[in-house]
Amino acid sequence: MLLTFKTMGALRWVLVGLSVIVAIFLLVPVIFIVALSFGSSQWLAFPPPGWTLRWYQELLADPRWLASMLTSAKIAALTTICAVTLGLLTSFALVRGNFRGRETLRAAFLTPMILPVVVIGVALYAFFLRIGLNGTLTGFVIAHTILALPFAIIPISNALEAFDKSIEDAAIVCGASPWEARLRVTLPGIRHGLFAGAIFSFLLSWDEVVVAIFMASPTLQTLPVRIWGSLRQDLSPVIAAASALLVLLTICLMIVAALVQKGRQK
Amino acid sequence: MTTATANPAADRSRMKGAALALPALLLLLGFFVAPVLSLLVQSVTEPSFGLQNYRELIATPTYATVFFNTFLVATLVTFFALVLGFPVAWALAVLPPRWAGVIFAVVLLSMWTNLLARTYAWMVLLQTTGVVNKSLMALGIIDTPLALINNLTGVTIGMVYIMLPFIILPMQATLRTIDPATLQAAALCGASRWQAFWRVLLPLALPGIASGGLIVFVMSLGYFVTPALLGGTSNMMLAELIAQLVQSLLRWGMGGAAAFVLLVITLALYAVQVRYLGAGRTAVGG
Repeated sequence: MLLTFKTMGALRWVLVGLSVIVAIFLLVPVIFIVALSFGSSQWLAFPPPGWTLRWYQELLADPRWLASMLTSAKIAALTTICAVTLGLLTSFALVRGNFRGRETLRAAFLTPMILPVVVIGVALYAFFLRIGLNGTLTGFVIAHTILALPFAIIPISNALEAFDKSIEDAAIVCGASPWEARLRVTLPGIRHGLFAGAIFSFLLSWDEVVVAIFMASPTLQTLPVRIWGSLRQDLSPVIAAASALLVLLTICLMIVAALVQKGRQK
Repeated sequence: MTTATANPAADRSRMKGAALALPALLLLLGFFVAPVLSLLVQSVTEPSFGLQNYRELIATPTYATVFFNTFLVATLVTFFALVLGFPVAWALAVLPPRWAGVIFAVVLLSMWTNLLARTYAWMVLLQTTGVVNKSLMALGIIDTPLALINNLTGVTIGMVYIMLPFIILPMQATLRTIDPATLQAAALCGASRWQAFWRVLLPLALPGIASGGLIVFVMSLGYFVTPALLGGTSNMMLAELIAQLVQSLLRWGMGGAAAFVLLVITLALYAVQVRYLGAGRTAVGG
């Protein structure tokens, strides 16, 4: 009745109406950013008097914006490698291990996800100032790996849990060494988990702003830190262009994720 | 050992299994546990040993206002996110797959879009000369622009926007697990729609509503970016206060004390979540 679409009567149109309104509310800012980035008004008048690519030209001509994009990409790539590697090792321990305190350990690994990011940011800031890692690439990667680790561990250990261990054992029976079996049988078997972990880790680092504000120095800034700095000064349309590129990236990643999902179901 | 084994070799290989977690564990201990603990220790040692930072935190009216604002915003955001999110979650659970897929994609697109990009959009939309004010004036609803930014209204709108996906996803997951036959049974037993909703659907959906609400409340309490950009100086929230104490005022002790308070509240609410609602999936997309 209330959970069967066909027999809900007039109620279903109320429900559809409300959902469409909320969906528009969710969609409008995203479309708005993209439209704004092509508008010719310096003062962000909307609808804009004309259309232009000027803000993209300014964005791509400014070495500071480009440098921050490059920094972001570097940090996100390194974070992904570290988080997925550590996440894979940890998942093996958490899923295959049978030791005392395994559940406590699992919970402990997820705490960086629960704590307010600002607390982690401030704590690492104090620590890195003392040991001289503030404003360095290493510091950034360590900080982001801490934050990304739960997001790598969850999908990888889920995939490992779902993977039938007897296939790995069969490979060993057939003469593979345990490591060979893990590398050539288990790893391909859990690749969707590794892929999801990699995407989550990359996006986390790429979009992360709170910890990054504390880690950054005038010479080492990620893209979000650069946007944050500009936002505190003015609402220049160049930010709209940068934001629109980020929206494009999100859409690309969603399409890739959907394709991978589809490939898995086949 | 949870299971006793007669084979010591198997035991050893299991302990070796545990050793694989060591690199990540060391990283976490060195760069997460130690720094957070040391920040908390600073709250009772800087500038001198004692509880004076906590005393100041309680006694200063400015800080009391910050705590009040933090809870006010978190409460408002949770309320509006629940009210707006529930119909969407419900629709996602009952709509034909094709339509549900479209709405689902919109929710994910909004959730995955860069936080600063979304907040920037609201800063432009809500400013005095922004689209929202202009539309309202064109429709003749208002004569002079409303102050929608740098105040509580701006923070609430921006935060509800950010939090909606986090409340829709767990609620729709719970609603999907409810067997539609339960409601048909209620109807057969003579329940009206109204009764079936209040006495069958809502109680069954409650775990999802509660856990979604709690996630959003906890996330809102410690949120930094959106309140800092859409809020004004008079409605500063706890996370921004901590950042300011440490970064601009260099008052590490006070910053540590405020961080400790935020940490305790967060962990207490998380414990409630685990105890009564199961650990479940927290805010992670997936």
